[in-house]
Amino acid sequence: MTAMPNDEFADEVLKLAGKAEDFQPQAVYDPDGDCIEFLVKADPFYAKRLDDLVTVYHSQETDELVGCLIKSVTSFCRKHPQLRIVVQDGRLKLESLFLTRLPASEAGESDPVMVTYQKLAEVAHETNAEAELQTC
Amino acid sequence: MVAAIDPVAGSPTARIQISWHRLHAVGSRGPAHALEAAYIVPAVLSGPTAIFEGLRWDEDEDRWGYGSRCYCGRPDRSYARDGSEGPPYAGQVYLVFINEDGVAYNWRWEKAAPDAPDLPEGHDVRFRRRLL
Repeated sequence: MTAMPNDEFADEVLKLAGKAEDFQPQAVYDPDGDCIEFLVKADPFYAKRLDDLVTVYHSQETDELVGCLIKSVTSFCRKHPQLRIVVQDGRLKLESLFLTRLPASEAGESDPVMVTYQKLAEVAHETNAEAELQTC
Repeated sequence: MVAAIDPVAGSPTARIQISWHRLHAVGSRGPAHALEAAYIVPAVLSGPTAIFEGLRWDEDEDRWGYGSRCYCGRPDRSYARDGSEGPPYAGQVYLVFINEDGVAYNWRWEKAAPDAPDLPEGHDVRFRRRLL
């Protein structure tokens, strides 16, 4: 199959560009990666692995947490059947998913992984983040 | 379909798909994200510093362990929130993740390895093998 020339690809992608000021927090499930990408700010970011489930996104400008990638969603839902209860109309509240992960940390409240999950749960609650799933 | 380096042939004969759904979501995040997808992703796919196969860190290794690839590159630019162009972020590389069906499903900046500025941090333990 023929590849689209890079300049033509760029033109098509840039037609989709919105304004950063219009950005709304978003949680999008991507079946190609079986992952949910959760973003609360339009800042450019860098990624850092938190654990086998989550990679966190930090703002390139302020270093604050601006989102995350939740990996292997199907596998995680299989291991945590209680999540199926909180999926309503095919939409999963991300706060529930992050709270499910908290007991997995055994090092207490000072554990940076646990602190990050708590922060993610708070941000998901504040933004009422939900992802539409084709799995779970 | 976007052209990419085939790690076996060493030529730009590989073809990578990117879903319209994904591009639409990325574009809605503003100009910085749209510009990264428009210019940096194709540049990394056609001029990677390394290509890795297999993700060893993900939970479901049966699904993602083989066939999935990660293209790593050092872009010549970065984009600020308003879309203005700047130099690349110091000490960082750009990664594009491809599933076993040849679909790019995630791309992002990451910290580079302290002793190998062309490679991502943890490259020696997070992938099954290096192809390029």
